[in-house]
Amino acid sequence: MLHIENLHVSIDGKSILTGIDLDVKAGEVHAIMGPNGSGKSTLAQVLAGREGYVVTAGSVRYLGHDLLALEPEQRARAGVFLAFQYPLEIPGVANVQLLRAALNNLRRARGENELDAMDFLDTVKSKLALLGMDDSFLYRAVNEGFSGGEKKRNEILQMAVLEPRLAILDETDSGLDIDALKTVAHGVNALKHPERAVILVTHYQRLLNYIVPDHVHVLAGGRIVRSGDARLALELEDKGYGWLAPDVQGNVQGDVQGDVPMEAPREGRL
Amino acid sequence: MAYPETRNAEVERRVADEYRWGFVTDIEQETVPKGLNEDVIRLISAKKHEPEFMLDWRLRAYRHWLTLTEPTWSSVHHPPIDYQDIHYYSAPKTRAQPKDLSEVDPELLRTYEKLGIPLQEREALAGVAVDAVFDSVSVATTFKDKLESLGIIFCSFSEAVQKYPELVRHYLGSVVPYTDNYFATLNSAVFTDGSFVYVPKGVRCPMELSTYFRINAKNSGQFERTLIIADEGAYVSYLEGCTAPMRDENQLHAAVVELIALTDARIKYSTVQNWYPGDAEGRGGIYNFVTKRGECRGDRAHISWTQVETGSAITWKYPSCILRGDDSVGEFYSVALTNHRQQADTGTKMIHIGRNTRSSIVSKGISAGFGSNAYRGLVKVLPSAANARNHTQCDSLLMSDHCAAHTFPYIEVKHPSARVEHEATTSKIGDDQLFYLRSRGLSEEDAVNLIVNGFCKEVFKELPMEFAVEAQKLLAVSLEGAIG
Amino acid sequence: MNSFTMSQALVNTRSSLRLMPVRRAALEQFIAHGLPTSHEEDWKYTSLGHLEKTEWHTPEGAPIVSNVVLGTEEYPGEVMHFSNGHLNEASPQACYARSLAKQADSAPVVQHLDTLTRATALTQLNSALWQDGLFLHVSTKDTSADASAPLFAVYSAGEAGAMLHLRNLIVLEAGAEMLLVEHYRGTPDLAYWNNPVTEIVLGEGARLTHLKLTEDSAAATHTGLTVVQQARDSCYRALSVNLGGRLLRQDVEVNLMGDGAECRLDGLFIADARRHIDQHLHIEHAASHTTSRQAWRGIAAGRGRGIFDARVVVQPDAQHADAQQASANLLLSPHAEIDVKPQLEIYTNDVQCGHGAAVGQLDEAQIFYLRSRGISADVARALLLRGFADAALGLLKDTGLAEWLEPHLTAALPRLEQERAA
Repeated sequence: MLHIENLHVSIDGKSILTGIDLDVKAGEVHAIMGPNGSGKSTLAQVLAGREGYVVTAGSVRYLGHDLLALEPEQRARAGVFLAFQYPLEIPGVANVQLLRAALNNLRRARGENELDAMDFLDTVKSKLALLGMDDSFLYRAVNEGFSGGEKKRNEILQMAVLEPRLAILDETDSGLDIDALKTVAHGVNALKHPERAVILVTHYQRLLNYIVPDHVHVLAGGRIVRSGDARLALELEDKGYGWLAPDVQGNVQGDVQGDVPMEAPREGRL
Repeated sequence: MAYPETRNAEVERRVADEYRWGFVTDIEQETVPKGLNEDVIRLISAKKHEPEFMLDWRLRAYRHWLTLTEPTWSSVHHPPIDYQDIHYYSAPKTRAQPKDLSEVDPELLRTYEKLGIPLQEREALAGVAVDAVFDSVSVATTFKDKLESLGIIFCSFSEAVQKYPELVRHYLGSVVPYTDNYFATLNSAVFTDGSFVYVPKGVRCPMELSTYFRINAKNSGQFERTLIIADEGAYVSYLEGCTAPMRDENQLHAAVVELIALTDARIKYSTVQNWYPGDAEGRGGIYNFVTKRGECRGDRAHISWTQVETGSAITWKYPSCILRGDDSVGEFYSVALTNHRQQADTGTKMIHIGRNTRSSIVSKGISAGFGSNAYRGLVKVLPSAANARNHTQCDSLLMSDHCAAHTFPYIEVKHPSARVEHEATTSKIGDDQLFYLRSRGLSEEDAVNLIVNGFCKEVFKELPMEFAVEAQKLLAVSLEGAIG
Repeated sequence: MNSFTMSQALVNTRSSLRLMPVRRAALEQFIAHGLPTSHEEDWKYTSLGHLEKTEWHTPEGAPIVSNVVLGTEEYPGEVMHFSNGHLNEASPQACYARSLAKQADSAPVVQHLDTLTRATALTQLNSALWQDGLFLHVSTKDTSADASAPLFAVYSAGEAGAMLHLRNLIVLEAGAEMLLVEHYRGTPDLAYWNNPVTEIVLGEGARLTHLKLTEDSAAATHTGLTVVQQARDSCYRALSVNLGGRLLRQDVEVNLMGDGAECRLDGLFIADARRHIDQHLHIEHAASHTTSRQAWRGIAAGRGRGIFDARVVVQPDAQHADAQQASANLLLSPHAEIDVKPQLEIYTNDVQCGHGAAVGQLDEAQIFYLRSRGISADVARALLLRGFADAALGLLKDTGLAEWLEPHLTAALPRLEQERAA
């Protein structure tokens, strides 16, 4: 489904990803782990098509297409979904409006009929019920005034409604209490399907207690330094990232600067 | 203004009448030379066959205007206006008009297309000399009959002066006196035409006035005067303007609108203003200095202003309500968008005089490019206004790091039972929010639409349905490429 | 007010020679332009006409201060006592707090005095005629300054017809911290005019907490300016409690010049009797990540009039500025008036700004609730009024000054209840 080959990415002339190779097949769940500043979020953002990232080498094929040639909305319509690490607040736009516009765009792109208001609400409410979320969620402005946990749940709700082929969760587990974490995991597990794939970008093993990945990759210094199955995550939890390779820490140090724009919280300071 | 053929014929007849009225001047036939003096005002009044009281009123206004200086308190900046370099009277059809659409600025046509304006309307809006009578005129005539049967007067101001001088005399200047402010005073002296509406007691006007006539309203001129009276228990909804950008070579516009709502009457006045804003560098563009004010003269009267301001290089207007009657209600809903180098200084005044008067203000300012957008409003509760209530919500959406957004509310309360609340917020829409929405499958255009419509929905819901749809499209077109 | 008395006042300054040309120039400017009039937007709601009609003089020297003026007030900290515009010789002086007149030619005064104020009529008059004031200079190394022990600057007025142009200069160097309380007071019912100017310079990371209590006599006029300049990461927290005077006009200007600087301007005013209280706040966000907070509460009763005019400007380079204003006001009598003008001027996009302003009354439902629990209506009102006022006094908690301020507040609030009943 997704085939990344020798991907190099830089921001403002500073290289962040230095040769990523990754193959994700339909039905698989991949976890990408790594220390802060290793380039995890950059990879997620590049796959979603964020501007400001320069692909200096390599390719990304998605369902046989050149993913990098597509605009962000074209990627979304082709079934790529990124759950943001820091979901944006969109004042004045109700959740329900965004969901409806997004879903109908997607359905149009797939050649399906747009849902009318009633059918749409039925669909959304069933997803809300699935995630154990309240209806009032729908009528609040997108992420405005949401707590951190609410924002992440909202990302999962969007994912559940849009039913992507490839879902990328960028540190969706960070900062969540255990209930919210379960909601997130539940949403992801409900999405599992032989035709779909999930990439979990995470710093902690904790999420993987609830979503068992088929493959675990460790990213450090802009490339994948180790791949394995779910046991790799447990091993990491035990021994820390330092255990992997003596040069990982060094690379991390050198890399922190470059990744800061994506890692820094966007909320205002106190 | 509703009947172009007859009006043109009327004008031609009057111009031909000129000599009979004893005006022997060496001017061109249809245009008074540039500049302003008492003779020009006498000439305007004579050309319009006005009764003596109108000429007196104009002259008093002019003499007062000479004692005034242009106001400087607003946050708009422009090069000085030379008031002697303006034609204060020119009959329609004197301007050079394109012969067909091929002579019209393609950019303008592209905009019409995006707004979904029907082909034949595009010609009229672009100022093409059209002789064909379009459907809307016959529609207009049909509705005119219906209005007449209800006793509703809806005609050009000139016609009202001729046919209903007593009504005009009674109400003209009773809300905006000729001494009111620099631009209103100038308008009082030199206004050429406008609209007049009178809805008799207990009559509910069955249609939105002016929707069907909007195309024909384009030659109302730069000094427009509108007077709307809703008698006891009457209701009228009036729509002004047009979503399509209007080309007009008059740079200065100074209109006056007066609304009078008597006991239990209700007036709803909606505006979409999209005059030429100037180019991206701020060259050209209309200076729009408007005085709009309504008075709830009787108990339980209700006046509601809704405006969507996207055009003009400078917008300076404060549609206001004088809440004189007990239990009267004033409302102001506004969306003002400034892009490129546009400047808007707009807001409202709510003057609470009667008991239990209520007012509500919702102002949405959108600043993009180098645009500057100011809300300026006054809520005044006089000692007589027991239990007055006001709520003001004033939001700014900032779309570029060069734009400016200001909020200048004045709250003056002189009664201890009043409750006045004001809230203002600013929020930013930039690349990050746009990317977020695009990553959910929305095109950039849809994303901007969603954001802007979400931001403005409280105002759009006050607009008549078809106007609201047009206004949404208009904002999207006006904001193309604005985010960043 | 005429140019002769003004010139006389200039002589009375007994100024350092260095400053005489500056003073003369300022006085000429003032005489040329005169006092502000209500045609000026900033003076829309306040007239100083009565100042024109009075012959004001400046006191010649420090008089002996009687206990009638001083009362029995006990201040929980060091006190610098100025009476009739002059430092009382008996005042203890901490090494960082001195007489500005005596230090007029010292290096920090030369460097900072008169550098922050805009040339408005009232500041020019002060610049021309000031006789003395507080010079507070806390250097980074100064360990004697204890941020938790307040310094009280007490300004007593006891001479009829006196105009007191106190001039204060406060310089906190990088990292310094200070807690300053200013207390303006006067002999009851005496007509005098206070026109103080306070310039505050905060170095990098410096922190000043500044309480200002005005309790001028019911016949006094007070026109005061506080202007603050803040370097990077500095913090200015101020609480104004305005309870006195016949006419009080207070201007506060804060310039957030360095990245990360923050200020908090809170205030409470009570305009009862015939009191006219006009407060103007102006905050300039001139650097990135600057923060400002304003929380004001106002009460107008009797024939009082309260004006709250606050302006926040976010300059083009002040990205990530965060500014919030809140003004809540109670109008308790049919002859009282409240005028509120909260303004935002924003010249960049990446900001969080907002304001809220409200004018209303005590909530009848709350009063009813309290009465239904057996509390009398008057007590219920007093409780609610006190609760309303307390919402602006959050800063007191941090300063340990709540106890000191308490009697001043309680003295002001019951007066209000009588007014309301009358």
